[in-house]
Amino acid sequence: MNKKATDKIISVYWFAILIIVAGGIFAMVYAFYSNPYDSRELEANILANNIANCLSYKGSLREKIINDEGKILLNKDNFLKLCNLNFNVEDEYNWKEKEQYYIQISFYNVQQQLISEEVFAGNTGLISSCEIQEDNEYEKLAKCIERRFYTLDKNQNQYLIKILSVVRKTEKNVK
Amino acid sequence: MKKRGNILTENIIFIILNLVFFTILILFVFKQGAGAIILEQSYAKQIALLIDSSQPSMLLKLNMEKAKKLAEKNGIPFEDVVQIKNNIIQIKLSKNSGYTYSFFNNVDVSPPYVSEEVYYIFSINNYNQNE
Repeated sequence: MNKKATDKIISVYWFAILIIVAGGIFAMVYAFYSNPYDSRELEANILANNIANCLSYKGSLREKIINDEGKILLNKDNFLKLCNLNFNVEDEYNWKEKEQYYIQISFYNVQQQLISEEVFAGNTGLISSCEIQEDNEYEKLAKCIERRFYTLDKNQNQYLIKILSVVRKTEKNVK
Repeated sequence: MKKRGNILTENIIFIILNLVFFTILILFVFKQGAGAIILEQSYAKQIALLIDSSQPSMLLKLNMEKAKKLAEKNGIPFEDVVQIKNNIIQIKLSKNSGYTYSFFNNVDVSPPYVSEEVYYIFSINNYNQNE
């Protein structure tokens, strides 16, 4: 084989390598940018924070949440209004018919006994996503965040409050 | 002498082809990251998260320089890029695209406006009264 022929073979190999490298870079860039940004965990965290702020201020339950006799005034009918939440979503992917959020609030006393009915709002069908993901996380299921904190009422009684915040919006956050 | 001339031409063509190849590759990577679809989604979600975390009487200021450059290139006035209807944000950076995302904080947001050429200002008013 003369030198010219060898040079040609080398340049063919060189172009083959270039095409493989280009193919790899195209594939990686496409895979990276075609995945939507997943903001559901952030949303669920903010939702839980907003609810915590709505229930308690400076370590004490707000007056709109509990009365002087220690009765919890929050219920599933007035929850969204009292906490200034709006679960309406854009009319895409049939979202108007299936709510994309779920919230559940439980009030316990210091002995960890439930002291009132659980307050919830949103799509109850999303709880199953949280149960399934207790051990492993699955991208295509709704994101669940659980928060708990202690607070006091006017009479210095202690309460443990658990907030479960769930955000679905899968179609716009996961490919 | 003729042989030398051939080698030089081949090498120059080879180098030019390589340069063209890598330029296309780099342009592709940059274009993918600055495309209308990616930016629309990123700004819509960013604004939704900002509004979700906000409280009445807050003023949010967001630098949208990249959006401005792309919108003007695509013939969309920068003032029309962001729109908020009820609790839904719409970002439009080209004539054939658009992205919407909702926020759950039940606040009344004034129509956003442009300030200092590249900033969008979102003024958070009071909480809306639920129906």
